[in-house]
Amino acid sequence: MLVLFYILILPLLAGGLFFIPGNKKLKYQMSLLVSVIHLAASYMIFTGFAQPVVSQWFRIDAFSKLFLLILSHVYFWVVLNSWHFINQPDLYSPEKSRKIFFSMMNLYLFANTLALISNHLGLYWVALESTTLTVAPLIYYYRNKESLEAMWKYLFLISVGIAFAFIGILFLALSAHGTDIFEKGLFLSDLIEGSSRLNMVWLKAGFIFIFAGLSTKAGIAPMHPGEVDALSNSPSPVAALVSASLSGTALIGIFRLMQITAGTPVHQFAQVLMITGGVVSLLVALVFMFRVTNYKRMIAYSSVEHIGLIVLGAGIGGAALIGSMLHMIYNSLNKTAMFLMAGNVHRRYKSRESGDVRGVLKNMKWTGILFMTAFLAVIAMPPFGLFFSELMIFRGLVEQERFILLGVVLFVLLFIFIGMSRQTFAILYGKSERESEGIEEVNEKFNITHFTALALLVLLAAAGLFMPDTVTGVINQIAGELNR
Amino acid sequence: MGNVLNILFCLSLLYLATTTRVTGYLKVFVLQSILLFFIVMLPLLSHFSVFTLLLPLTILIVKAILIPGYIRKKIIYELEIKTTIESNIQQFNFLLLTVFTMVAVFVFSNLISKDAAVDPVPFAAAFSSVVTGLYVIIFRKKLIVHVIGFLVMENGIFLLGIAVASEMPFLIELGMLLDIFVVVFLMGIAINKISSTLAADEVSVLDKLKN
Repeated sequence: MLVLFYILILPLLAGGLFFIPGNKKLKYQMSLLVSVIHLAASYMIFTGFAQPVVSQWFRIDAFSKLFLLILSHVYFWVVLNSWHFINQPDLYSPEKSRKIFFSMMNLYLFANTLALISNHLGLYWVALESTTLTVAPLIYYYRNKESLEAMWKYLFLISVGIAFAFIGILFLALSAHGTDIFEKGLFLSDLIEGSSRLNMVWLKAGFIFIFAGLSTKAGIAPMHPGEVDALSNSPSPVAALVSASLSGTALIGIFRLMQITAGTPVHQFAQVLMITGGVVSLLVALVFMFRVTNYKRMIAYSSVEHIGLIVLGAGIGGAALIGSMLHMIYNSLNKTAMFLMAGNVHRRYKSRESGDVRGVLKNMKWTGILFMTAFLAVIAMPPFGLFFSELMIFRGLVEQERFILLGVVLFVLLFIFIGMSRQTFAILYGKSERESEGIEEVNEKFNITHFTALALLVLLAAAGLFMPDTVTGVINQIAGELNR
Repeated sequence: MGNVLNILFCLSLLYLATTTRVTGYLKVFVLQSILLFFIVMLPLLSHFSVFTLLLPLTILIVKAILIPGYIRKKIIYELEIKTTIESNIQQFNFLLLTVFTMVAVFVFSNLISKDAAVDPVPFAAAFSSVVTGLYVIIFRKKLIVHVIGFLVMENGIFLLGIAVASEMPFLIELGMLLDIFVVVFLMGIAINKISSTLAADEVSVLDKLKN
């Protein structure tokens, strides 16, 4: 039970307390401490070292273990970078935003943790909506027109999306009507155990609504626009949080539904829906990769692409499902590094337009090298983890003899690679037309963002080559849950 | 009695489809919230206790007093929003669309109620509200009207929750109400900022973010 205090109550207390005006440095240090404790607790839960005494409201299974670790991990690195971020001398950092920054971060951690470990879909819904509310003020950090529009769209589209997910939850309740699951209070564990007794028509309707609703938050096409706007216009640490951890909190809802449908006739339908969502996301990412002229937006579409791959793999099942879970871990490491580096570029060039940015490798040595490395990782170059996870997804496709789908996916990935590298190499190399406009050539100092990106990329390569048995054990448990 | 309240709920949607005033929209939302209060109260009358009053009273306070009060004072009056709504389609077409949808939803609810444990009238009223709220968001231009459309949708979902007779635990209901209140609060702040920085209160000004 003490572990639950560390991962749930501590961030809530910190979030509430930090609304009181005070020393920001102290708030940062306390937040960092909370994040370290959260990470340690998540790691202990993940390895099975700590087995929290769980009430019927909480569920700590393989899914929660994995997603909790991803959340803790991303959150720790982002908090570590936050002091550097809010104190950048050349960054427009409004005092009002700085005041609430650490409160919102801690409340974000609380809401996400609650969503990941809840054993009731109603509680999950409330927590998920709370994550939107805590992240919206963070998206509005710069308090300019673009961030205002991004916040409005994120808040509105996602609230409407999540409202639809709630209709799905009510349909699920309807599917349990007349059974003891309904009488017991519709807990997730009861729904999973007694799934064969549910009304299949309502279960199917529930899946459609929940999948469509949560897609807005996870960034699955065609419901992705709110997510893309938020990723491209929020400060980089916030974008890293949203892309690398918040999408996972939305995805776990979809996976929970898959847990319920596993072993019922609806499962096949759910898989088809997931595969469709995955393929549409890949296609949308392909089209926009050639149309976007904004490098942060390009990374946002890369996020849509990778979420698409994860959903696709989970829909296919078997080896692809294992690949998809690995992809979830690797993508979170990579996107954090990538958004942090994009943030450095933005600060230096004061523009998110790719056309305004040239010669990053020359002007910003460390950022350039790490951005390039993160780019190589995102296009699944070995030895980075994404290469191995994508390979697993392809293996799953081959095992199921879905060769046409495999062909389509490979074709799309190839062209996404071309589109992305065209823009990335243009900003990394090339002579800056704006050099005379004040982009002075000073040697970039190695700072905390570079350390973070370097650590994450080393971890990404190491995890690809030597994946610990504990992780594969948890992922196999997940595969067992969904392949019932 | 329950059905009468649900039908009144539906009629409020028809008023929503015909009115062209922002304050009219707000009044419909308040009326719906009061109806929700009575709909939640009705089954509780048989086993009345102080504790059972908590949820309906919270609904009444949050949805019929706090949220409308905030919207009226902080958004409509403070920003001097023009009282007429701007629409993408003609008023008559909007009404026609709403009526057709409502008829379709009622027929559909009647059909499914034969196979499932669904009470057709509240189910249809709830779904009509969700769809009408969505139409308001799609076809109206003013941001504040979008917020009210979202709230009408939420009211529909609340009613749907009652219709499928799945009582969510009290704490979850409370959490939902708190979430909705904070959403409206944040949307209010956003509209405030949008009108001060972009000097407009319509969705058409939000076109900076493009691919």
